[in-house]
Amino acid sequence: MSTINFRSLQRANQRKTVGLLAGMAVLITVVVYAVLTYFGKGGIGIVPIAFAVAMLMVWGSYYSSDTLVMTMTGAKVLDYDDNPKLFDLVQEMTIASGIQMPKVAVVEDSAPNAFATGRNENHAVIAFTTGILDVMDREELQGVIAHEMAHVKNRDTLVSAIAATTAGAIAMLSDMLMRVMWFTGSGRDRENNDNGGNPLAMIASLVVILLAPLAAVLLRSAISRRREALADATAVAFTRNPAGLRQALEVLQRDTTVVHQRSTAVAHVWIESPLDSSSVSKLFATHPPLEERIALLRQMEANPTTNQ
Amino acid sequence: MTTTIVIVAVLALIVLFFVGGYNRLIRLNVSVDEAFSQIEVQLKRRSDLIPNLVETVKGYAAHEKSTLDAVVAARAKSTTATTVADVAAADGAVTQALRGLLAVTEAYPDLKASANFLSLQEELGTTENKVSFARQFYNDNVRALNQAVKTFPGTLFAGMAKVGAREFYVVDDPQNRQAPNVKF
Repeated sequence: MSTINFRSLQRANQRKTVGLLAGMAVLITVVVYAVLTYFGKGGIGIVPIAFAVAMLMVWGSYYSSDTLVMTMTGAKVLDYDDNPKLFDLVQEMTIASGIQMPKVAVVEDSAPNAFATGRNENHAVIAFTTGILDVMDREELQGVIAHEMAHVKNRDTLVSAIAATTAGAIAMLSDMLMRVMWFTGSGRDRENNDNGGNPLAMIASLVVILLAPLAAVLLRSAISRRREALADATAVAFTRNPAGLRQALEVLQRDTTVVHQRSTAVAHVWIESPLDSSSVSKLFATHPPLEERIALLRQMEANPTTNQ
Repeated sequence: MTTTIVIVAVLALIVLFFVGGYNRLIRLNVSVDEAFSQIEVQLKRRSDLIPNLVETVKGYAAHEKSTLDAVVAARAKSTTATTVADVAAADGAVTQALRGLLAVTEAYPDLKASANFLSLQEELGTTENKVSFARQFYNDNVRALNQAVKTFPGTLFAGMAKVGAREFYVVDDPQNRQAPNVKF
């Protein structure tokens, strides 16, 4: 990469998301192939069932993501008069991004954090903890708002729903197959087995079925990290001011309090992961490390002309 | 039989390619228009704030007549501009005059402490930011359109769609090109 600016970073992260989603598709194909090898044609019927169940589960939470996440986090929607300065800043970002005015909500929590959700821009909600509104100045808050609006513009609720559906379906598939094996014994004993004569293929298939859920979760986390990096780059496209978001992330880095809510179910929606970084390994992290994000923003600051 | 299907499929693809390319240019052109009207909305809002601001400042600093007159004159001129270049020039003049006025107010602590002035200052600050972001959004849209018009396959449809490269919104003031950054 010759020069680092928001345009090159946006392109790179979009490209990597596509690559990771393609990786998900490859993983599904491999799993289906393994099911065919191990159980023969009889076992394949389970694949659409797993996908249907995962889709039903994820689609429900995707469709009502705005109300659901708000209930889970206890966020309250604000009116203009409740916080004119915050609304002014959000309005500035709607003009910079060209998207509609989202609902603005606040979460009673002293830990500084923020999130965006909603299935599309008509149902978008961006929420801030009372802590972040207290500690950040206008410029920093503008960076945070831009990051959240970038999630709305990039349709990240949809992207994460797609990732969650595939990861969920693979997990369910693996689980169901394990139960089937438990009750029926090794697939080798079954009559309608096409590949019964090849123990190596059988072992390989078993390993694939066992490890696929792990691979799916890793891919899902990687997609989430790419979308966070993309939201940072898009935020700079909106504000043309990498320093604002960089200072905001530094405030988050200095801050040691963490949002009380530690539910992994909604961890990915926050701007800073509410989960303890030591308990979550880097590969499973939903966010790139703050140091990395700050370093990239610094590089963007160093090339002011390419950010115009 | 199969050749007919292939021919129909290829024709369908060509039609889709043309419709898609044509519509894309039209869409980009419309979004430039929309972005420009957003600039005008924000300029209008700023314009509406000026009489109130001038009245408030007059109450405390009546003898700063030349600065006040400059703002009023710049505002009056801006209402008649229509082309992109004229609107941009008038916008620059108002920004300049307002900056002069705000600099003058520094010398009047009573004015700066008045509640009316403080709320006006916040409103003016955010409006100035909104104008800047509207300019930026417009220029981003012009950039996307111009790129599409000048590169393949956009060049094929530009004539047919009667869509050409559009003018950037350039304000002749180096300070305006920086990221909006109003502190208070």
